Amino acid sequence: MIRIENLCKKYGRFEAVKNLNLDVRDGTVFGFVGENGAGKTTTLSILATLLRPTSGRAFVGGEEVTRNPSAVRRQVGYMPDSFGVYDDLTVREYLAFYGTAYHVAESLIESRTRDLLHRVNLEDKVDAYVNTLSRGMQQRLGLARSLIHDPPVLILDEPASGLDPRSRIEMKDLIKGLRDQGKTVLISSHILPELAEMCDEIGVIQNGSLVACAAVEIVTARANGQRMLGFELLEGGRLLGERLRPNPLVTEVVVQGEQRVEVLFSGSERQQVELIRELSLAGYAIKGVSEVAGSLEELFLRLTESDTKSAQIAQPENALPASRVV
Amino acid sequence: MRRKNRSRPVEVSVVTRAVVAKSSGILLQTFGNPLIRKELRQRMRSVRSILALSMYLLAMGAIAFIFMYLNVQGQTLLLQPTRTAELFTFLSYLQLAMISFVTPGIAAGVISGERERQTLTVLLTTPLTPLTIIVSKWLASISFLSLLIVMTLPLYSIVFLFGGVVPSQVIAVFWLQLVTLGAIATISVFWSTFIQRTGWATVLSYGTVAVIYILLGIAGYLIDGVAAHNPDASAWTDAATLCYALNPLFMLASIVERFGLITPVYHNTLAASLFSSVDAHHLASSGSWFLFLTVYLAGSVVLLGACAWRLRPGAFSVFMRRLLSWVAR
Ligand SMILES: Nc1ncnc2c1ncn2[C@@H]1O[C@H](COP(=O)(O)OP(=O)(O)OP(=O)(O)O)[C@@H](O)[C@H]1O
Ligand SMILES: [Mg+2]
Repeated sequence: MIRIENLCKKYGRFEAVKNLNLDVRDGTVFGFVGENGAGKTTTLSILATLLRPTSGRAFVGGEEVTRNPSAVRRQVGYMPDSFGVYDDLTVREYLAFYGTAYHVAESLIESRTRDLLHRVNLEDKVDAYVNTLSRGMQQRLGLARSLIHDPPVLILDEPASGLDPRSRIEMKDLIKGLRDQGKTVLISSHILPELAEMCDEIGVIQNGSLVACAAVEIVTARANGQRMLGFELLEGGRLLGERLRPNPLVTEVVVQGEQRVEVLFSGSERQQVELIRELSLAGYAIKGVSEVAGSLEELFLRLTESDTKSAQIAQPENALPASRVV
Repeated sequence: MRRKNRSRPVEVSVVTRAVVAKSSGILLQTFGNPLIRKELRQRMRSVRSILALSMYLLAMGAIAFIFMYLNVQGQTLLLQPTRTAELFTFLSYLQLAMISFVTPGIAAGVISGERERQTLTVLLTTPLTPLTIIVSKWLASISFLSLLIVMTLPLYSIVFLFGGVVPSQVIAVFWLQLVTLGAIATISVFWSTFIQRTGWATVLSYGTVAVIYILLGIAGYLIDGVAAHNPDASAWTDAATLCYALNPLFMLASIVERFGLITPVYHNTLAASLFSSVDAHHLASSGSWFLFLTVYLAGSVVLLGACAWRLRPGAFSVFMRRLLSWVAR
């Protein structure tokens, strides 16, 4: 659905995107991760026909973005990383304006407006003026706007930035829902764990090049030797930490308090069962053990390190492990 | 035989229909497009614009009434045609000044404003073409003042009912104001598209208007001076005519010159000597009007085209490719 071939973009002499290759299959959600200035927005803008590539080609639904931009625009719902809204327009009029701009029939616009506002949880704001909505509400309205013409492809540039935890979860569910509808979604973020929860595939962009690209399942599967386990206890977290540290199968122990310990475990699932049984017999008050999704970032780092020497994603300061974001 | 004869008209009608459909599509896209509707909705919704509209009409009406009342001292029979002509002149100059002052304020923010509010990117990802966006914005920015001009027409008509002004003068003033409005709006939209900041775009727009009104006037006057001391003056005179003909103020004077401002009272002032050039250069002639209209209308088309190109560089090459394939087809 989306294909990028040897894409380059220079701002003056600065190369923001270098020889980028990417393939997003029909009906999948692709996560685009990278630190600030990695070139995510630049790449997405080229796909949204806002920027012209210096060289290379990009296709959306088989149409080349520079040769047939209007065909691309009809197929793409684009949400920029930051955008503004108009004064003196109500939410209903705002959506209707973009709907007519996309040649959506008047009768359809009405029902779609209702449906979309329901999905982004803004039903009670239909008649509010858009400039009076809060930042996060405008963000959600922006997502509704990008869906008004029911495009098969969605390009979302950090759609979750500026949202509160609840809205982040809702955004995640919404995007999963879009995949269930068969839409192709390209979504950028600098928080890997969050992306991992809703994406089928993840690509890491660094200094304008794609340094790693893998299906989420492959990531977890290939990293089988390195899983983050979270132990929930009634008490005795510190003691458990002490006990686990010398274990050869445990490479890392993080004691998060008396009730929670996280370890990076490299044994097989059988060995994991063995360990849990052994600990329970030894009298540790273990309530439960679960795999932590937030470990993906570290796992991905390891993976990409083995793929390419240069690959290193610095963990952004505000990127909490997924277990805590939720 | 018969079949052959029949196939012709069908083809023609198909072509005609295609052409009609295509051109009406373009017209619809430009005039009935969502962007204009949205802009008008935003502009006309606020109480402010309705208030401004009524205040302006009231003020103009009041000026007209007081002027006439003072002149006749309550006795309608005493009304002199020259006096009404003076009023007409005064209102025309006032309205031209208003247009020249207000238009840049409205139009210089249309694109840069969208850029500053970060709404332009989203607009550019919709199927709206750059030309549609520019033309819609331009139309929306002149909508308010066009409405004003149209709404003051009845006022002018009342004035000309009392005599002293011929209908063709009223119509000429109306078109002059409309073309000037369009041209100033184009200039402002141009700066708004090419300059990132609304503030600077506004300054440059007012600057350009000042150049048109003041510098062109002074240039014409100086060139006239050179021509007076030159035995072979025709080239200089033409240059001066060009300067004057591109100045809406002088063109307005050429419509109303026989009346109003240039009365004997002002004979020895600079203004009078400047405006006397209106007569000397035959600015009321069709040649000058042709010059005025061509430069401003063609200039507007070129500038708006440039804006569309600037809005999305590369759109032009796509457009040319489409045009070529359309022609080939
Ligand atoms: N208009 C521009 N002119 C010059 N350089 C630019 C321009 N836009 C972006 N860049 C540069 O290109 C690089 C990539 O920018 P880009 O916005 O694509 O990064 P990003 O991955 O989206 O980052 P972020 O996470 O901060 O959104 C940056 O180094 C930036 O400084
Ligand atoms: Mg970005």
